[in-house]
Amino acid sequence: MSSLELDPIFITLKLAAITTIVLLIIGTPLAWWLANSKTRYKTPIEAIVALPLVLPPTVLGFYMLIALSPDGFIGKFWSLFSDERLTFSFIGLVIGSVIYSLPFVVQPLQAGFENVGKPLQQAAATLGAKPFEIFFTIILPLSYRAFFVAISLGFAHTVGEFGVVLMIGGNIPGLTKVLSITIYDHVEALEYSIAHIYSAALLVFSFVILLITYTANRKLSIRL
Amino acid sequence: MIKAHYKKSFSNFKLDAEFEIPASGITILFGPSGSGKSTLLNCIAGLENTDVAKLAINNDYYDNTELNIRASCPQRQFGYVFQDSRLFPHMTILRNLQYGFKRVKPHLQTFDINKLIKKFLLTDLLEQFPHQLSGGQKQRVALARSILSHPRLLILDEPMSALDYAAKQALYPYLEYIHKELSLPIIYVSHDLKEVLQLGDYVLIMDNGKIIDRGDLVDLCVTQPLLTQDEGSSFILQGVVTETDEQQCITTVQCQSHILLLSGKLLEIKQPVRILVHAKDVSISLTPVNDSSILNILKTTISKINAPENGKQLIELKIGETKLVSTLSIRSVNQLNLKPGLDVYAQIKATATIR
Repeated sequence: MSSLELDPIFITLKLAAITTIVLLIIGTPLAWWLANSKTRYKTPIEAIVALPLVLPPTVLGFYMLIALSPDGFIGKFWSLFSDERLTFSFIGLVIGSVIYSLPFVVQPLQAGFENVGKPLQQAAATLGAKPFEIFFTIILPLSYRAFFVAISLGFAHTVGEFGVVLMIGGNIPGLTKVLSITIYDHVEALEYSIAHIYSAALLVFSFVILLITYTANRKLSIRL
Repeated sequence: MIKAHYKKSFSNFKLDAEFEIPASGITILFGPSGSGKSTLLNCIAGLENTDVAKLAINNDYYDNTELNIRASCPQRQFGYVFQDSRLFPHMTILRNLQYGFKRVKPHLQTFDINKLIKKFLLTDLLEQFPHQLSGGQKQRVALARSILSHPRLLILDEPMSALDYAAKQALYPYLEYIHKELSLPIIYVSHDLKEVLQLGDYVLIMDNGKIIDRGDLVDLCVTQPLLTQDEGSSFILQGVVTETDEQQCITTVQCQSHILLLSGKLLEIKQPVRILVHAKDVSISLTPVNDSSILNILKTTISKINAPENGKQLIELKIGETKLVSTLSIRSVNQLNLKPGLDVYAQIKATATIR
């Protein structure tokens, strides 16, 4: 455990990429619904989406562990399709990360959709466009900045995840051992020099992603 | 005919508008701000959920709560031009124009997009983006865009209210074109009496969520004080310019059997005009006056004398089929001993509106 491993880096990037894709698939309709819904259920659902922002990752991880276990409601459902366990597996990590990073994707998208506003959608509808046509011809092109922010925040936040992963993914080298946990291990073993390398890499990586996001966001907003 | 009835309750406002209007020409929807005009338009366009909804154009139903009929907004194919042009900011003008056009089935397209682009003088703007256009240009594009979607009904919600005088004048010919060349019913919301006179055929008066009056513009000017606002009862004479005198700045207008002279800005010969006359600007004499400064003196017959109101009486006059009104004091009516059937001379101070 004293040499530099590359596996955790690959697992981390793979986890972040898959999580971001799943989040776009789930988060886009959810954000669209939140941006347009007038029902009284909207506010409680917004609050639930925002929960991972304030909950300690260990609390979230604890409940996920119970839900993903073979007797939990997600685990039971999963066992209908597969003999593998969800806990301490890569798929389990993806499910945990999706919930953990949900607000970082849904909130920018919702704001982006709301920003496009009703008036242009109404104009499009009077010109004969059906709702899904309005989404693809008006909403998407006018909220691509929001997608850019959502993708980069969702990705970066998943890369930086620790507590939830530890609770449900454990520390299985080559399978669920991500970068943040590797750093923790090295610190525990008092191998500060290696911890330094990983930490610095993660710091630079996160900074660069945020820098790109903010720069692009400003440039794009000037163009529009 | 277009028949409609919409009901909707808000926390502080109740819409209950029922009306019948002709399925051709421009119907003006007139009323004070906050009377529910835009809400009614949104109901008609299918953009608003309602408690009761009924809408039929020539017996085709678009809304009928009882029969559970409700066409979605895109299904209705109603054109809608808003105060703010609502052009799509990420599309060029050409793509904006094509947006509705390409959704019309080719065999239902009755006019050519290129011809309309030329007609609306948009050729040089096609590659530009909406933010590069002036307010007047934007509304011209919005008008063309909605016509290109081949609407069954065109809704115009104060399309000129955000424009300055010059831009308004520049937009009139296009509205005239739509009105005259395309047989398309138009519902037009306006606050501006000048716009109403210039464009209106039929009028709906709305107040507090209800349609309180409706009728031909020419009739409603006489009876509906909301329409003529502070000027009181008025009437409209329609005619054609036959002569102009540049030196004296006088335009001669032939209105059916009689002739009116208008002073001020010269109009073009053969131009159809509507002349708005306020009843308070019409005085009456029993004999033709030759030494008056008033230009127009017409021989008329009194058809009705209305009951006094605030010391004044509204006298209804007729020349052939043309109706005129005059407001006189009770004292004058008594002094001249005016009675229905009596032939009198009306002296008219007239202001013209181009049509």
